[in-house]
Amino acid sequence: MSNWINAHRSQFGLAGLALGIFLLLVLMSLPATPVAAAPQAQGDKPTDETCLACHQQAGMTVQIGGQPLPLTIDAGVFSASVHGTEAIACVDCHTNITGFPHPAVTASSPRDFSLELYPVCQQCHTEQYEKVLDSVHQRALAAGNTNAAVCTDCHNPHTQARLTNKDTGKLLLGARLVIPQTCAKCHNAIYETYKGSVHGAALTQEGNQYVPTCIDCHGVHNIGDPTSNTFRNSTPYLCANCHTNETLMKQYGISTNVLSTYVSDFHGTTVKMFEENYPDQPTNKPVCTDCHGVHDILKVDHPDAGIAFKRNLLVKCQQCHPDATAETFTDSWMSHYEPSPDVFPLVYYVNLFYKFFIPAVLGGMILFVLTDVYRRFALRRAHAKGGTHK
Amino acid sequence: MSNTTTPRTYERFPLARRIEHLIMLLSFTTLGLTGLPQKFPDARLSIAFVNLLGGIESLRTIHHFAAMVMMLGTAWHIIVFGYLGYVRRTRLSMLPSLQDMKDGWRALLYNIGLANSPPQMGRYTFEEKLEYWAFVWGAIVMGATGFMMWNPITTAKFLPGEVIPAAKAAHGGEAVLAVLAIIIWHMYGVHIKRFNKSMWTGQMTEGEMLHEHPLELADIKAGMADQPLDPAALRKRQRVYFPIAIVLTLFMLGGVYGFVNAEDTALTTIERQVPTVEVFVPQTPTPAPTQTPTLPPTETPVPTQTAVDSTPSTPSSTLTWDGAISALLQPTCGACHGASALGGLNLSTYADVMRGGASGPVIIPGDSTNSLLVAKQLAGGHPGQLTPEEIAQIIEWIDAGALEK
Repeated sequence: MSNWINAHRSQFGLAGLALGIFLLLVLMSLPATPVAAAPQAQGDKPTDETCLACHQQAGMTVQIGGQPLPLTIDAGVFSASVHGTEAIACVDCHTNITGFPHPAVTASSPRDFSLELYPVCQQCHTEQYEKVLDSVHQRALAAGNTNAAVCTDCHNPHTQARLTNKDTGKLLLGARLVIPQTCAKCHNAIYETYKGSVHGAALTQEGNQYVPTCIDCHGVHNIGDPTSNTFRNSTPYLCANCHTNETLMKQYGISTNVLSTYVSDFHGTTVKMFEENYPDQPTNKPVCTDCHGVHDILKVDHPDAGIAFKRNLLVKCQQCHPDATAETFTDSWMSHYEPSPDVFPLVYYVNLFYKFFIPAVLGGMILFVLTDVYRRFALRRAHAKGGTHK
Repeated sequence: MSNTTTPRTYERFPLARRIEHLIMLLSFTTLGLTGLPQKFPDARLSIAFVNLLGGIESLRTIHHFAAMVMMLGTAWHIIVFGYLGYVRRTRLSMLPSLQDMKDGWRALLYNIGLANSPPQMGRYTFEEKLEYWAFVWGAIVMGATGFMMWNPITTAKFLPGEVIPAAKAAHGGEAVLAVLAIIIWHMYGVHIKRFNKSMWTGQMTEGEMLHEHPLELADIKAGMADQPLDPAALRKRQRVYFPIAIVLTLFMLGGVYGFVNAEDTALTTIERQVPTVEVFVPQTPTPAPTQTPTLPPTETPVPTQTAVDSTPSTPSSTLTWDGAISALLQPTCGACHGASALGGLNLSTYADVMRGGASGPVIIPGDSTNSLLVAKQLAGGHPGQLTPEEIAQIIEWIDAGALEK
């Protein structure tokens, strides 16, 4: 037996080699899985140094479809970026580059090039990538709007600094300041409006990081459609996230009862009950933004347009009540005030009246009913006693 | 009561009165059920109930409809009340009197054992009068405040706007009072204490009459209850009353119509004004990634890259470094063998070229065959590969002495 093996050893060697080649071919023909851990830099793959040897030349560009695509990478800026500090290699993202010459560019424009490349982000940023799939941007892109933002439009992968704490995932101090500027790249008209609002001015002029930026209302990555009924109907709760927060509001001396006073009023009651039962249906009752504005929210005591002034508030009322011409009509809404002897005294005293009147009337009734019940039981007992004695 | 003959009964409520009661019962219950969820919008029960009735808007429609029914019922009651009082000369036995106070006090004393007999009462006991007049009070308050909420714009024309939230407060407070009073007073007095069916049968037995309305029973027995009316006088009063009743009816119907239709804007769904916003207003023509650092970004990021002059250099007739060779080498070689000097070789200036790279000189003037640059290029496949024509020019330039100028 062993002789036989020895005699055929060379043949086994050949068979093993053939099997090895076959397996290699099978492996190579398997489809590459796109979602994988960051690829390991392999020996035959170019290192960052190799890439930078060329790509840190100033002014490198390539013409794609007649438009220039910048090719220069500032090595210093890249190594300071979050990808640089995490030692992400060029070819980890530029997965099709294995050496020089590079494969031919298939994109028809620099924009097309970005659109072809951005799905590599999901290799590492799976969660964010999948959230984006639900966003307005992705829907617009799917509908053929190539201007719709993809990952790299907000996060330049070569320069993006760390935005969140690595351990907690919370936004770093300072990160909030750049959010509106990032969105402004495409939504500049809104940004210009926002800068003039009470929130935007505090952020852009005072560096106040506690005021809402774009993402606090619109979300991040899975940005929803802000024109949807669902979004509008949930607005009161959105604003209440901050405006019922005692710690936050204390800094500005703003009341935290804005939601409770809204819900206890006619409009708020309606919207609340409506939102509970039909969150995705339209209602014509006002939410916060209908009176306060959206990106142009001003302080209510703003001298020109602050809605603490009846003349300004009436304009808001007339959006839905065009027949209301008397400024006194604005008092039919209590402007988030809790009634007190000083503010809306009539409402206060009506409430006070019923606070005593209801218990007084009902208490009297209950008292009389109880005495009647007592008498009936007493009579029955007396009858029973009389009956047994007889 | 040992005899088997049916005991004598007395008519307590004619059919019209019973229908009136049914109308009030239904409208009151509907108003309470559709009103209280609006007063307590946070309660899960409210939300579930609102959903059951098809949402808040449809709940309000039902509430408004029930209010209209109650108003019409009240108008009918007023007309009938006038007829009975003026034409039929019925005793106004529902009017409150000092005797009711005394009866109530005595009933209380009797209940707690401080009086040895209950009060003797007539057609309407003090309990029934209390409920009736509480209903009258409630109807006035609810009607007035309901009007203000239903028609806030009209109201604000005559009264300060503050009365509208005040009306809402009163409407809610009164509603709680009314519903609970019905549950406590009416339920106990008419359903629990003794199930009183007279509002449905219209009849009361002699025993019940004796027990609850002894004075009325005594009046009936004495023949004082149904005094015959003089037909002539009756007809005369009818002739006076009917025109008045018609005018009053029209007036009240007009009032209800006005109540319901005084204004529209606060009720009908008018198209909401949606501000239009220009969404896509890019700061740069295309949202291509810019080369500026994201942190901190510039106010208006602009492309920092300026396209290099990519027009092909025209071959110079004078084969010198300055004349043609520099321009020939830069586009192809400059990316790697420029400032970054890959392999130590920098082809930017004449001096750099002549110095060579890590492997030594690349140009040997007069000897292109042994010049490394030519050898590399002729071997082909170099990352920055020159065309054969360009290589020929280089060879010519080297063999001519590789002059700078």
